[in-house]
Amino acid sequence: MITKRMLGIGFAAVGLLAVIGLLAVDLVNAGDFQGIGPVQRLGLIGGAAVLVLGLTLIPLGNRPA
Amino acid sequence: MNRYFSLFFGPTREDLGRPDQILRILGYVLIVLVVLAFLGYLWVYGYYAYRLLLFPFDYDQGEGFELLDTLMLSRGEWPYRDSNVYPFYSSNYPPVFHLAIVPLVWIFGPQYWTGRLVATIGTMVTAAALSYGVYREQKERRWWLVLFAALAFFASNYVYHVGPLFRQHMFMVMFETLAVVLITVIVDREEASGKTNNRHLFWVMVLLLLAGYTKQLAYATVAAVFIFLFLRQVKRSIIWAIPFAAVTGLIFLGLNVATDGQWYITTVSANINEFIPGQAIGLFRQWFDLHLVLIVVSTAYAFYQLYFERLSAYSIWFVITAVNSVTAGKWGAGESYFATAVAASCLLTPLAFSRLLDWLNSRDFSWEKTLRTRLSTVAVVVMAPLLLHQAERVFHMPTHTPFLQSIARSLGKPTETFVAPQTSCSAPQPPEPIPYVDDAFVLVGRPPTDADIAAGKQIAAAILEGDTAAFSEEAGFNLYVGRDVVSNPTQLLNLYKAGEFDVTNMVQMLDEQAFDTIILRAQFYPGPVLDVIGQKYQTVELIEMNKFVYCIMTPIK
Repeated sequence: MITKRMLGIGFAAVGLLAVIGLLAVDLVNAGDFQGIGPVQRLGLIGGAAVLVLGLTLIPLGNRPA
Repeated sequence: MNRYFSLFFGPTREDLGRPDQILRILGYVLIVLVVLAFLGYLWVYGYYAYRLLLFPFDYDQGEGFELLDTLMLSRGEWPYRDSNVYPFYSSNYPPVFHLAIVPLVWIFGPQYWTGRLVATIGTMVTAAALSYGVYREQKERRWWLVLFAALAFFASNYVYHVGPLFRQHMFMVMFETLAVVLITVIVDREEASGKTNNRHLFWVMVLLLLAGYTKQLAYATVAAVFIFLFLRQVKRSIIWAIPFAAVTGLIFLGLNVATDGQWYITTVSANINEFIPGQAIGLFRQWFDLHLVLIVVSTAYAFYQLYFERLSAYSIWFVITAVNSVTAGKWGAGESYFATAVAASCLLTPLAFSRLLDWLNSRDFSWEKTLRTRLSTVAVVVMAPLLLHQAERVFHMPTHTPFLQSIARSLGKPTETFVAPQTSCSAPQPPEPIPYVDDAFVLVGRPPTDADIAAGKQIAAAILEGDTAAFSEEAGFNLYVGRDVVSNPTQLLNLYKAGEFDVTNMVQMLDEQAFDTIILRAQFYPGPVLDVIGQKYQTVELIEMNKFVYCIMTPIK
């Protein structure tokens, strides 16, 4: 059984990876825009939201998810 | 009175004072209004479905091709064929929906009503499953919320537009809904009894498989079901995921081998289309605007479950399918991609309201005897106007009779919509009034008329003036006169963009004027094909059907 803490860690990891990955897009010069493009911005907001959501779940401990 | 009261609000034993009785009657009236409003939408749905059953041509451009797929399968032929050779046809959809219609085509022939009837029945099954999902979780019976789940589904503009068409999408939603409701029932029973039942879980997998082989988009629901199972029973979810993936893959490989690789080209390559962010954003805004109450309540309930209890399969389903609706931004996709998220929200909203009312009734408020009943009644008096507001947001109805016009007028709505007939191969035309009002008007939803049927027959008659099958953007006209269906324009355009369609043979036939008639509606063919049509054919007649102007073309002498 998955707990709230495990779910929170999972969400936080996915959100963090998404944010890092989307920022890395600029480092390798992928995408059609210079700087942060509109889709990239949406992705960053989504990734950050998932990260925050995950962090808020971690304190809920071993309650079942 | 108490008997009727308890039917809607749940059981009560308290004797109420006069203010409470007035509040109770107000709640009662509001609930009746909610049910009447949504029953009205059910009538609108039924009328549209009935008019479509009588209409023997394409209402939506893809319908005829789905009928052709069914016809091919009924003859034991694959619709996954080489598009580079005559008749330049291939299907981009899996076969389950069409296979379900095959017996009707064997008996009645290639009729549009067969698929429309099956699709409509599928939508009804979905609605019933949504109601059952609410029914079984209510501690105290509230029939208006059970009924709301089904009626709200029929009332959604998106479900209304697509549900009664000869399209496979709502059949996929039916399998998805059945799978999610069934997994909920199974896991609940297993957790209550402490015993697992693999036989029941097997049927969930079958439903998911059927959903995926009805339309590829079902992968989101497959993910939702396995995530739910993973959260509850980690090991079991992995054990079941392996054979499920293996069977799905084996069927895929089998179909690919049986069709000499055409299955992959026509159902995968042809579906990887350009993503248009503006289209996705626009559709998300429209979905949110139309279904505001359903979305807000469902989201709030999902968050409540995330933080304060266990996540249900329904909440996971809603979130994943809502996120996956971003795929509506693909070229060729559209509003129907939100139908599964709409179904999930139609289930979650009455569930959330039921839970709240159950909670209020179960609390032991010691400081006042009648408080429980009073709070429940107040809650209903708040909930019902929210649902009435939801009914107002999805407003759509035909207005072809004075009575219907008076209803629209009394609700403060217009009695007609001004729309310019859609042209692509002819000059633009000014807007004209049509007797249909829809807050999400997208050129589907207006019930077809006798004039549309007459126009369709006129187009079909133009084919009979020549000796060959027409090179037509829609399948219906050739099917009506018993000639070959030639080409599937959007599919060919997708394949062309993917580098999987060589236009040489088609261009050569058009250059040689091998077709006596060409029928264009939206000019979805690849550029070189449209070029040669423009050089070798001329428009001889314009015929309007379903607010689209069809160009009838014949060879230039």
